[in-house]
Amino acid sequence: MSWLAGTFSGGFVQRALLEAVMVGALCGVVGVHVLLRRLPFFAMALGHATFPGVVLAALAGVNLLLGAGLFGVLVVVLVAALGARERVDDTSAVGVVLAGAFALGVLLLSAQAGFAKDLAAYLVGSIVTVQPGDLAATAAVGFAVLAVLAALHKELVLGAFDRPGLAALGYPVLLLDVALLLLVEVTLVASIPAVGTILAVALLVAPAATARLWTDRLGATLTLSPLLGVASAVVGLAVSQHWRVAAGATIVLVAAAFFAVSLVVAPRHGLAGQLRARRRATAAARPA
Amino acid sequence: MTELLVDPFRLPYMQRALLEVVLLGVLTGAVGVFVVLRRLAFVADALTHTVFPGVVIAFLLDRSILLGALAFGLLTALLLAGIGANRRVGDDAALAILLTSFFSLGVVLVSRTRTFASDLTAFLFGRVLTVDRADLVQTLVLAVLVLAVLAALRKELVLRAFDPAGAVALGYRTVVLDLVLNVLIALVVVAAVKAVGTVLVLALIVVPAAAARLLVDRVATMAALAGLLGAAGGWLGLAVSYEVSVGYGVRLASGATIVVVLVALFLVAASVAPLRRLAAGRQGPATLAARGQRERR
Amino acid sequence: MGSEQGPVLAIRHAAVAYERAPVVEDVDGTVSSGQSVALIGPNGAGKSTLIRAVLGLLPVVRGSIEVLGRSPEAARPKVAYVPQADTLDPEFPVSALQVVLMGRYRRIGWVRRPGKADRAAARSALDAVGLAERASARFGTLSGGQRQRVLLARAIAQEPRLLLLDEPFNGVDAVSQELLLAALQRLRAGGAAVVMATHDLGLAHLACDEVCLLNRHQVGFGPIGTTLTPELLRVTYGGQALELRGDAVIVAKP
Repeated sequence: MSWLAGTFSGGFVQRALLEAVMVGALCGVVGVHVLLRRLPFFAMALGHATFPGVVLAALAGVNLLLGAGLFGVLVVVLVAALGARERVDDTSAVGVVLAGAFALGVLLLSAQAGFAKDLAAYLVGSIVTVQPGDLAATAAVGFAVLAVLAALHKELVLGAFDRPGLAALGYPVLLLDVALLLLVEVTLVASIPAVGTILAVALLVAPAATARLWTDRLGATLTLSPLLGVASAVVGLAVSQHWRVAAGATIVLVAAAFFAVSLVVAPRHGLAGQLRARRRATAAARPA
Repeated sequence: MTELLVDPFRLPYMQRALLEVVLLGVLTGAVGVFVVLRRLAFVADALTHTVFPGVVIAFLLDRSILLGALAFGLLTALLLAGIGANRRVGDDAALAILLTSFFSLGVVLVSRTRTFASDLTAFLFGRVLTVDRADLVQTLVLAVLVLAVLAALRKELVLRAFDPAGAVALGYRTVVLDLVLNVLIALVVVAAVKAVGTVLVLALIVVPAAAARLLVDRVATMAALAGLLGAAGGWLGLAVSYEVSVGYGVRLASGATIVVVLVALFLVAASVAPLRRLAAGRQGPATLAARGQRERR
Repeated sequence: MGSEQGPVLAIRHAAVAYERAPVVEDVDGTVSSGQSVALIGPNGAGKSTLIRAVLGLLPVVRGSIEVLGRSPEAARPKVAYVPQADTLDPEFPVSALQVVLMGRYRRIGWVRRPGKADRAAARSALDAVGLAERASARFGTLSGGQRQRVLLARAIAQEPRLLLLDEPFNGVDAVSQELLLAALQRLRAGGAAVVMATHDLGLAHLACDEVCLLNRHQVGFGPIGTTLTPELLRVTYGGQALELRGDAVIVAKP
């Protein structure tokens, strides 16, 4: 325990810790919606595609997250437009936009000297260099996103469960879709300082997927997921400080470890539970 | 025009780079057709990230990068089959978690070195201009191997893409077929790692094939067109990045330029496609089927 | 603005389009309060398309469709849709009660949460389909027939004037069928009109008093006794019907 306390003394570490907690909690909640609406691939693509926005913002001297955010909106529109055409199915459309946007970002960045270091920070995060300004931005974004999710909760859940049903009830389905995609985009962008564009998806998917293995109820999932997100972030940060390795990546490994363990031991949906259920079923079916 | 397309390639290192991207273009185009038809872009994306730790480990241990990447590629395919089978998790989430956690492993390993940032960049984006003869031979061998397997299993793979239930009903071991395709994708990723890096391989796999799909209706023609587009994109991309870097002093990463060119070609195909259909004056069965499927959704 | 006296659903020589080409044409008929119409026809005949047009989700390119004297979009709060249960994800973390509550969302409005009255209405709807004790069970743990009943309960909770069902008896066990039919009967007794797309001619006889035969255009619309005839069925199914001893007809499985 004292090892943990000792690890967390020091200004930059405190800031990193605060950022980790906020990002972990926010991604945990948004991640549940990402899973329910089957958006992991889209989130991945968004993470890659906001990259040119970050670069453009850096070149223009504008706030990086703003650049990423605005570019992300553009990407959301592009994907929706491309995916709506016949012959270009959603997956390939997303793949094309992902690849193109990322390459564009690399191009823009490579035109500058010394681009390797900045690139690494954008891709895998640099939580230990988080500034008070970033903390304020994350907090603001976090509150806004959570507020909107709470307000639209029942509509978003219905839309994930029964999209035609949502349309039949007369709701503006496309608007709600876009709203959710934008919420995901904003969350991703807010997580970039902590874990970078590629790894932000992990915090969106892993804690939520882990929570889904332990409970059948939506309310419980929405509580457990952010807790797991925070735990992954804090433990990951501590371990990375101790072993002096990349923080963002370590956070992701911890989140993945929680998932892997749950995959095996979760009572009903983990491996142990399913084997037990199957054994019980065969025993019951055996003639007396 | 010839200055742009031919002059840069008088230099031996540019010739090797050109040969490499042309080979890769053909290879990724052929495999890419199945990735696009089976909507496996996400799987392909995942594989490009999950072989990264294999590459890093091999590099740190001074072993063959090919073997390291292949080992992790196989591991990915197996884990994906296993985890994705859990109904509560699903394929999408399983892929995302595998992709990011393996990639993180690679990042953690690389971050222990002093040259972290530049090594990471090299792995992710490749250094096609440093391709040597040994790399070329390796790529050629892989290309021949992959294309041979694709040709041999063409009808089974097409069946699996078009009618998965039918394939199972006919008695095909679809699990094995899927594993084979995943391994082929992993091999392609491995072949492209040095040239364009793990991140941009996805573009080589998906974009030319997606463009070809917009223009032609038959799998064999699609594969040929995709290969052609991939090779053309490689050539043009190399030429442009050289021209801009040398002629205008703005250093453009070659791999990234190739991808941007490919996406541009895709956009051209996307705008030409509806005109082609108008010219034909009818709607093909694929379009009607797609429409019907959309209706039923 | 709405008409309480007129028919619940009035379709006048309507053609519905999907993207630009008309998919189903020349549909004409009315459904009054308490009546039940079966939409019968082979796959691709336009049954689902017509239902979506009545919901205001697809455009009417010729003629008109009016629900309660208003446009389909305006009448939506009074129209309930029951899809096939197997289109829904069985792993989704919602209970039967939560699914039924979804029918009340428009009534509850944006941002607000379901209240006590809504929960009571939901429970009573579940009771109407015989699933009161399974209210807190996860939707995916219920059988196919039970899930279909939950979806009907969701529609009941909406308190609709018009009920649209898409193949409600597909893959449904006998017990659930009975309960579905009884619940539908009660809805009709309460004044609701019912339109159901179905392949099952036997159940059409049990559940409906009128039938609309479709095969990309309307073949017939009228009382089931006079309209569900071997000749008209043969026209509807395009020669895939096989006559059997005069009146009885076997239709080749679509």
